[in-house]
Amino acid sequence: MSIQYKSIKELKNMLNDKDISHTELVQETFLNIKNNSALNSFITLNEEESLKKADNLDNNPSSGSLAGIPIAQKDLFCTKDLKTTCGSNMLSNFIPPYSATVIENLENAGCISVGKTNMDEFAMGSSNETSFYGNVQNPWGENLVPGGSSGGSAAAVAAGIVPAASGTDTGGSIRQPASLCGISGLKPTYGRVSRWGMIAFASSLDQAGPMARTAEDCALLLNEMCSYDEKDTTSIDEVIPDFTENLNSSIQGLKIGLVKEFDLSKLDNDVVHVFEESKKHYESLGAEFIEISLPNITLSVPTYYVVAPAECSSNLSRFDGVKFGKRCDNPKDLEELYIKTRSEGFGDEVKRRILIGSYVLSAGFYDAYYKKAQQVRRLIKNDFDSAFKSVDIIMSPTTRGAAFEAGSKSDDPIQMYLEDLFTIPANLAGLPAMSIPNGMIDNKPIGLQLVGNFLDESRLLQAAHNFQISTDWHLKTPSGNKS
Amino acid sequence: MDKKTVSTIAYLSRLSLNEENEDKITEDLKNIIKFVDQLDGADTNNIEPLANPLEKTAKTRTDNVTAKNRKEVFLERSPKSNEDYFLVPRVVE
Repeated sequence: MSIQYKSIKELKNMLNDKDISHTELVQETFLNIKNNSALNSFITLNEEESLKKADNLDNNPSSGSLAGIPIAQKDLFCTKDLKTTCGSNMLSNFIPPYSATVIENLENAGCISVGKTNMDEFAMGSSNETSFYGNVQNPWGENLVPGGSSGGSAAAVAAGIVPAASGTDTGGSIRQPASLCGISGLKPTYGRVSRWGMIAFASSLDQAGPMARTAEDCALLLNEMCSYDEKDTTSIDEVIPDFTENLNSSIQGLKIGLVKEFDLSKLDNDVVHVFEESKKHYESLGAEFIEISLPNITLSVPTYYVVAPAECSSNLSRFDGVKFGKRCDNPKDLEELYIKTRSEGFGDEVKRRILIGSYVLSAGFYDAYYKKAQQVRRLIKNDFDSAFKSVDIIMSPTTRGAAFEAGSKSDDPIQMYLEDLFTIPANLAGLPAMSIPNGMIDNKPIGLQLVGNFLDESRLLQAAHNFQISTDWHLKTPSGNKS
Repeated sequence: MDKKTVSTIAYLSRLSLNEENEDKITEDLKNIIKFVDQLDGADTNNIEPLANPLEKTAKTRTDNVTAKNRKEVFLERSPKSNEDYFLVPRVVE
């Protein structure tokens, strides 16, 4: 029985009904990984350990809510005794002595981490073209990018290799690849999921979240990923609801905000058409649309490109060739050790962002750039706070278009940065946001973004699930409609 | 933003840029800084900077020992170490 394209829920049923053993499921998963090696979605595989765990589950059944579910982990999460590169040459030999809290939570629930997925180097990129380990291929077409930075995770789920993957989202790195690969992805509220053991890019923006075929699967994963963690000082100590509880409740009367300042007329007609169809669909489900104004939202991308590089330049100063990771050969003194190690270890995009960060933080420019950006960040957050007084969620396209060709934007950093136009604001304000497939353009999927109020992931998942039980965009696969 | 500024910030960042891509990087940074200069237009008088979306004070925990000393585990991951220290080129002559 083929397991390709099966959801977590379907695989759980198959395991419960003994249609397949845990070992068979893992064996089949690795077969699929190998048959799809051209996608380059994995950097490191964890086959031996995965088979051992599956065998153990076959002999000692577990009550974990995700027992035996294969999951692909973004190579940004530290995994104990399993190589963790963050897509960089700098960490090409790094074997962490501990696992990230998210990894521990998922594995404690029974998930089997089958491998580590390819990604833009240190999560800096929107096309997976900055990885030291090569581009990832979007399963929807040759030479198409999967988006980034969680490109390997998105491609692995989209190709039906695994039902679930972890991702991280600093400016759209879960939602943008989810949109371009035709899967569902959720960035939780900042602080909902522990950042312990995540290799930091921009600490005030980074958040881990689930990537899967359906909103329902995202809810199952989020239930296990969240926890209050003393080891992360920004971890939120609030009650964690059962995110599956309200999935099937009606969204009659749901107030959905449409952002006046997002000028959709600048997008391709096809993109606008897909978005309008989704609006109609939500209306048919009983939702009501209200125009809202977020006056400062157009400044989100420039704000982000001060805040994120500033935090990145500070965070990445830890890579100095002394305590772990790569070190250059034969440095003549300590300074040369630092400079050569960092120059050889980092790729161009990472260097570019470190340089911008060092510039905006340097004496004389700090107030003009970094402080200014933090002030605008507050204005953006205030805009959202006011908007959520009159609406429940905010809706927009996730991306400006469907997947683009590799190489088509990589020469112009600003064009690439604008890829995240719709996704960045939620990171700046710390709000939960998700992307679900809502249409096809030239046989390529595209996504719809839903942004929720602080800690209101349940409502996002409910709105997304209601859409998915009445449409079939999330069931489309690169090899045809899923039966 | 010119080549001289770029080489200063590159040194501050402990990065060396090779000559072929120095021009390209300078041009890229110039464009990025021009792009973020849009922020000048925002009225931020009396607006408190926002460093973190939660704005909560960091929680403290009781000062209990939670992890064992794992010196060996960390030292063995270092590019160069002896049984007690991370090793780097000589700093003091």
